[in-house]
Formats: sequence, structure tokens, C-alpha cells
Amino acid sequence: MTETTAQGPPRGRPEASKGTGGRRPRGAARTGSSKPLLGAVGVMAFLGTWEAVPHTGLVSARYLPPASEVLASLARRATTPGFWTAVGDTLLGWALGLAIAFVAAVVLGFALGALPRVRAFTTSTVDFLRPIPSVALIPLAVLMYGTDIRSTLLLVVYACFWLIYIQVLYGVADVDPVAEQTARSYGLGRLARIRHVVWPTTLPYLMTGVRLAAAVALILSITAQLIIGSPGIGREIAVAQSSGAVSSVYALIVATGALGVLINIGVRALERRVLRWHTSVRGEATA
Amino acid sequence: MTATRTALAALAAGTALTLAATACGNDTGGGTAEGGLTPVTVGVLPITAVAPLYLGVEKGLFEEQGLDVTIETGGGGATTVPRIVSGELDFAFGNVVSLIVARAQGLPLTVVANGMTTTGDADTDYSALVVPEGSDITAPAQLQGATVAIDNLRNIGDTSVRNSVRLDGGDATDIDFVELAFPDMVGAMDNGQVDAAWVVEPFLTIALEQGATPIAANFVELDPELSIATYFTSDELIASDPDTVDAFTEAMNASLAHAEANPDETEQILTSYTEIDPEIIDELRWPRFETEIDRGALESVTELMVTDGLIGSELDLDTFIR
Repeated sequence: MTETTAQGPPRGRPEASKGTGGRRPRGAARTGSSKPLLGAVGVMAFLGTWEAVPHTGLVSARYLPPASEVLASLARRATTPGFWTAVGDTLLGWALGLAIAFVAAVVLGFALGALPRVRAFTTSTVDFLRPIPSVALIPLAVLMYGTDIRSTLLLVVYACFWLIYIQVLYGVADVDPVAEQTARSYGLGRLARIRHVVWPTTLPYLMTGVRLAAAVALILSITAQLIIGSPGIGREIAVAQSSGAVSSVYALIVATGALGVLINIGVRALERRVLRWHTSVRGEATA
Repeated sequence: MTATRTALAALAAGTALTLAATACGNDTGGGTAEGGLTPVTVGVLPITAVAPLYLGVEKGLFEEQGLDVTIETGGGGATTVPRIVSGELDFAFGNVVSLIVARAQGLPLTVVANGMTTTGDADTDYSALVVPEGSDITAPAQLQGATVAIDNLRNIGDTSVRNSVRLDGGDATDIDFVELAFPDMVGAMDNGQVDAAWVVEPFLTIALEQGATPIAANFVELDPELSIATYFTSDELIASDPDTVDAFTEAMNASLAHAEANPDETEQILTSYTEIDPEIIDELRWPRFETEIDRGALESVTELMVTDGLIGSELDLDTFIR
């Protein structure tokens, strides 16, 4: 599904591309102050267009209710416990799926990264399994787990595992041979070398994988609920749709968008914190 | 070094979450009887036609029969039959044509209770064949060469629409059926993508409010006593636990009778599991919640299904209905 975004291995500093180029220092001060303002104006303009389009009759208000109606519907819904249960279920599926994929991918990635022969042996299988879109597993998930959260987890874990696993493999392979040799000559054991040489090298790759996976996990969590009917916002959308409640459908879609934004902000904050020693993040901070 | 520690902490947190996941997973899969009740899972779609089931559960009619019902609305219609066969669902709601096709293909399914019956009256029935405002089509026979939206091909929609066209003296072989979800049909008619649509509630009321005209009550024309959908189970459950199946049939029939006798309560229960606009709920047309399944009507359906080639030969209804 989103495999294309994960294709290219980051060149050691996943976020570095942003900080390069001569114009950054000059433009930084100006964009720094006007960015939030421009963002707010952008949102207002979008909402204004959305409000206006159904009124002009360009699109029937029956199929695209104006923004005010949708946001009012969302506000009403946000006062009901059912909405927050659905949000909780969606976030649970997201968090558990991401966590399971993370642990499995890190453990397997480090193990196979350290064993080149085993890695070569599994590469063909991985290359076959990785492009399978997670949504193609929906019939399997329904037959195995019905509509409970395990169906969601199967889809989320499958998609996220490959994203993180491939990044870990690239990271482990990127270890500087000089650093590795130096660590050896200082008498560091295998575990100490993993901790002090391999892990810091891999971490930027790993965080890139986690950031991609966090977004994909939300997509698949909602997809599973929408199509399979496991509990969460996706299922609420399906119920609203089969009731012909158009503004509720839009309200719930807006809610999923908000969740996506929050998740992205959170993961970026985590990334900055975990990689604050790294040149890519340090470069951003001093600019 | 601190970075390494933070990352390790993150890893540890991840592991803890995974363990928590395993712990969560265990308490949901209990399946033990609570207060001597037998747990059963019923698969339905969140549509108006299953209101009696929700009402019966709320009124305790299933508990009276010793059943602790869990209603599952997920999975979609297409996965219901495999999940009944695999035993993951104990009972489910499905339209009679789907069930007859499945049964004719040798799937071990048996009907245990009625779901809903047409009102038998064209002006009040729960579903209709409609055309958009300003359409030239005024009768089913004029659908020759037209595009008609139905929710599933080779199912109850095309079978009943073809029947209405034939009854009106038209050529039923020359209709272009297209599959659309019920919520999309009204929009597709507005856009001119389809010439007519077979809609069920709540979309029939929505379509009529938007100016659509009914041209046929396809279920009524098929048979005024037609059971449109029924509750069914697997033959395996009937063999292994006939008491539970009997209890479900009893409770379901009591729920149908209660829903039929108390239309206000039936309307009210919709707000608990659908998102239908209260103004539309007031206008909704309801099917009849009969406890009896009319065999004669089902025979008419199977005859039509043989005519249209959905099944090879007629079905033995005595083994199909328990």
C-alpha cells in the first residue's frame, strides 16, 4: 500500500536533506515567524471553500454538507462516550500493532543483520512477502479472527513490520567499518559493539521506519474497522454510511484526520528527542 | 549514551505494550457462561430490518431462554456464511435468496427463524424499485435496455426485479444490472449513472424525499407473503446443541412478535445501533415481523431462481427450514 514511500534507504541522515542548501539560513528567520500564521490562514481558506462549495450548488449539500454542519456534528459527537470509546479502540489497535511490529522488526532485523548468510537466505522470501498489500489479507483476517481487534492487529503488524524491518537491515548494514574495527581493537565484546556501534548507527534508520509505520498503522487500523467491522472509528463510519447519515460520515473522517495529525506530531517529537545527538536534528535545532 | 538509554527505554516500553496486548487478549476470549446463560454470537448488518433482534435483547427475551447474545455488525454480508460454517458465528441474518444459493451449493446451513416479511402492500412496503425525478420510465416493462442498480448481482434484487418486469409484460433478459451499495444508489440516480434502483430502507425514504418515484414493489409482486430475510445457523450447531438452537428460535419469535406489536419501541431501538436521522425514522416504512415463514412464497422464489439460472433445481424446503 505505502511501500513506495519506504523504497529508498535514507542516506545515513534521514532528515538531512531538509537542512542542506544555502538558502536555509537566510530564509529561516522569515519563515520561522510567519509559518504558524500561514498555516492558520490555509486552514481557514480550506474551511471557507468547503463551506462555500455546497452553497453555490457546485456539489449538492446532500453529498457534501457544508463545513459548519460537519464540525457541529463532530462537536455533538465528541460529547458522547461512544465516540471516545471508538477513538480509544482505534488508538489501541494502532499502538498495539505498531508496538508488536516494532519489537519483532528490531529483534529480527538485528539478528539477521548480524548474520549475512541467513540474511541472504531470507532475502528472496522477504522480497516476495513485502509487496503484498496488507489489505489483501482482509479475507484471511476475517476467517482467522472474525471482527475482534486481532483482525486489525494482523493487518497493522503485517504492514508496519516490513517498513521497520527493512530500515533496521539498512541501518545495521551502514555501520562504519572503521568504527567497528576500532571497537574491536579496544576489546569490546559482541553485545557492547551492538550497543555502542551498531545501535547508534541504526537508530536514525529505525526512527524513519517508525515514523512511516506510525502513519501506515493508523491507515490500516481505520481500514480494518471500516471493512471488517472491528470496533473503532472505521466501524462508526460504516454504520453512519449504512444509515445515510452523510454529515456524520464527514465528521468521523475529520476525526480520523485529526488523529493522523496528532500522531505525526507525536512521532516527530519522539524522533527529535531520541535523535537529538544526531547531526540531522542538531542541524535543525541550531538553524 | 543518554540517547542509547532513551532508545532502550522506548524498546522496553514497546515490549511492555506487547505483553499488555497478550494480557488483554486473554480476557476477551473467555466464552464462559455468565449466570448460567449460554453465550451466542449473532452476525447482522446494522440495518432497520434487524430491529427486533436488538429489541429482544434489550427486553431480556433472549435471557428468558437462557441465552447471552452478542450482536456482531462487522464483516459485511459476504463473510457471514463462511463465518457461520466455521462456527465463529452461531446465528446470522441473511436474505433468503443468498441462503438458498448457499444451500444449493451444498453449504450446511439451515433457517431457524423468520427475519422479516414483506407487508404485501405496494404502498407501504419496505423496499421498492424507484426511478429518479423526471424519469420517462413509469412502469417496470419500460426498463428494457435500462441500467438498474442493485446491491448484489445474482441475488434477491435482480431476481425480484426481473420478475416484476416479466409480470408487467417486459423483456427481463435485456436489463443491465449494476452493483452499487444502497447508500450510493440515490446519488447514482441523481447523476444519471443508473436509470432505476432497487432500494431498501432507510434509503427508500431518503430517495422518496428527494423526489424519486416508485414504479414497482418488487417483493410484494414476487409474493405478498414473502419472507425476505431469515435467521440461520449451521447444521453442525443443530446437531451438537439443538437446545441452544431451539432457545434461539423461541427467543427470536418472541422478539419478532414484540417488535410487530410495539412499533414505537421498534422505532426507538434504531437510535441505539444506527445513525439514521430522527426525522427519517419517523417516516420509515417497516416490513412485517412475522414469526411464520410462508413456504408457498419460498417455492415461488426458488422457481424464479431456477428460471434465472441461480440454482440448478428446486430445493427441499423441509430440510432447509427447521
